[in-house]
Amino acid sequence: MKRFVLLAAVLPGLTFAGTAAAQGAAAPPAPPDYSAFPCLSYSLPCGKVATRQPVQKALEGPLNGNAAKGKQIAQARDRGNCLACHVMPGGSQPGSRGPDLSHFGSTGRSEAEAYAMVWDMRTVNPETLMPPFGTNAILSEQELRDVVAFLLSSK
Amino acid sequence: MFERKRIPLLSALVLALSAGCAVLGDGTHRERYADAQIDPFRGVEGDVGFSDTIQYWRDEAALARHAALADKPAEQWKLNWKHMDLDRMELHPGHLAVDEGQAMVKKLAARDSAFLACLGEGSPELKGKAAAYPKFDEALDRIVTVEARIEHCAKRVLKEEIRQGTPPNNKISVYFKSLSAGTPIRVDLSDANVMEAYRRGEELFYRKTGQLNFACASCHVPGSIMGHKLRGETPTTPFGDAAHYPTYRTPVGALESIQERFARCHGQMRTQALKPGDPAYADLEVFMTVLSNGYPVSVPSAR
Repeated sequence: MKRFVLLAAVLPGLTFAGTAAAQGAAAPPAPPDYSAFPCLSYSLPCGKVATRQPVQKALEGPLNGNAAKGKQIAQARDRGNCLACHVMPGGSQPGSRGPDLSHFGSTGRSEAEAYAMVWDMRTVNPETLMPPFGTNAILSEQELRDVVAFLLSSK
Repeated sequence: MFERKRIPLLSALVLALSAGCAVLGDGTHRERYADAQIDPFRGVEGDVGFSDTIQYWRDEAALARHAALADKPAEQWKLNWKHMDLDRMELHPGHLAVDEGQAMVKKLAARDSAFLACLGEGSPELKGKAAAYPKFDEALDRIVTVEARIEHCAKRVLKEEIRQGTPPNNKISVYFKSLSAGTPIRVDLSDANVMEAYRRGEELFYRKTGQLNFACASCHVPGSIMGHKLRGETPTTPFGDAAHYPTYRTPVGALESIQERFARCHGQMRTQALKPGDPAYADLEVFMTVLSNGYPVSVPSAR
């Protein structure tokens, strides 16, 4: 009798766990959709998507960037991930391919220049490896302004 | 289809090379990474004058001489991960997959011996045959990789789906390729169809894609990120790499075919990934495997 009660208590728990696992298996997180950008397919529509042309973006209005937020965005692998290629203040495992940006704020760049570079570095250097963060909408307008504020605060 | 587009496409590329962009056959503007001028006929030796790291990993003797690089974070990339091959004698899940693949083939061949003859293209003997893949199959009229051969034979002979990019296909592939371990890879560039696939794969290698606007070449040719720190990683040479696939990926904890690896790279590049077996990935595998021509099939391996 005692054993039966125990089983009855445990079974609903098991059933619930089983259902949750089944739901988890049925709905894995969908991979992000990058089909608006060029891919290598010979047949999918993204195979025919053009590279977005370089955009010379002018800074409109005051920068209004938050340097502390910009630092987080620059470090986050799923946001700016600037550290993939650049040394910057803070953060771990910086990359070595891009210029060291530790003292970017002392290089005499204006807000507008820095903004245009992060928006689309191809306008400055057509051979650059740097992703066009504004043109390809990798960062939002405000995120980009935050990153520029962080860059200019790095003295 | 590709034959028709090939001539205008190539001439457009030549014109556009210096500008770092290209116009596809249909007039689409595409940026392109600068061509590294790889000579396919040099096979794996093309790395001389490319990354120049082949001196460290060309063979077991070179690896043994330079084993100390494995402990130097800034220089480890020069071994092209071949130092992980030195544990070849130890047991890792790649070895277990060979045994599982062998048992699977035995079982499938027992159902119909034509399965084995299909894998071996007329003979049940598989020894050494994987070293000639990818190849152009006249009857199927397409490029066939080892994984594609397995998928095709399971479907044709056994009416069973053993799709590319699935664990059963990878296990059979690892077994099939292990029967060529040590045999130098010899993708047949004298076959015009293979050469065309190489050229298409080469074009894809340099084509910028995705939200980050990266090409394979952005990380894997001289002057790119190759040899530099990319956060925790250091991208290495594409020469001599295809020889190890399918490989047991320690960060993933699973066997991975080279085309699954392409898809994983594309996800990291924020590019629409394609399915294993996609014709574009088959062409890219031809390109990558030609860069291993002359290097021994190195399966099972871990990466």
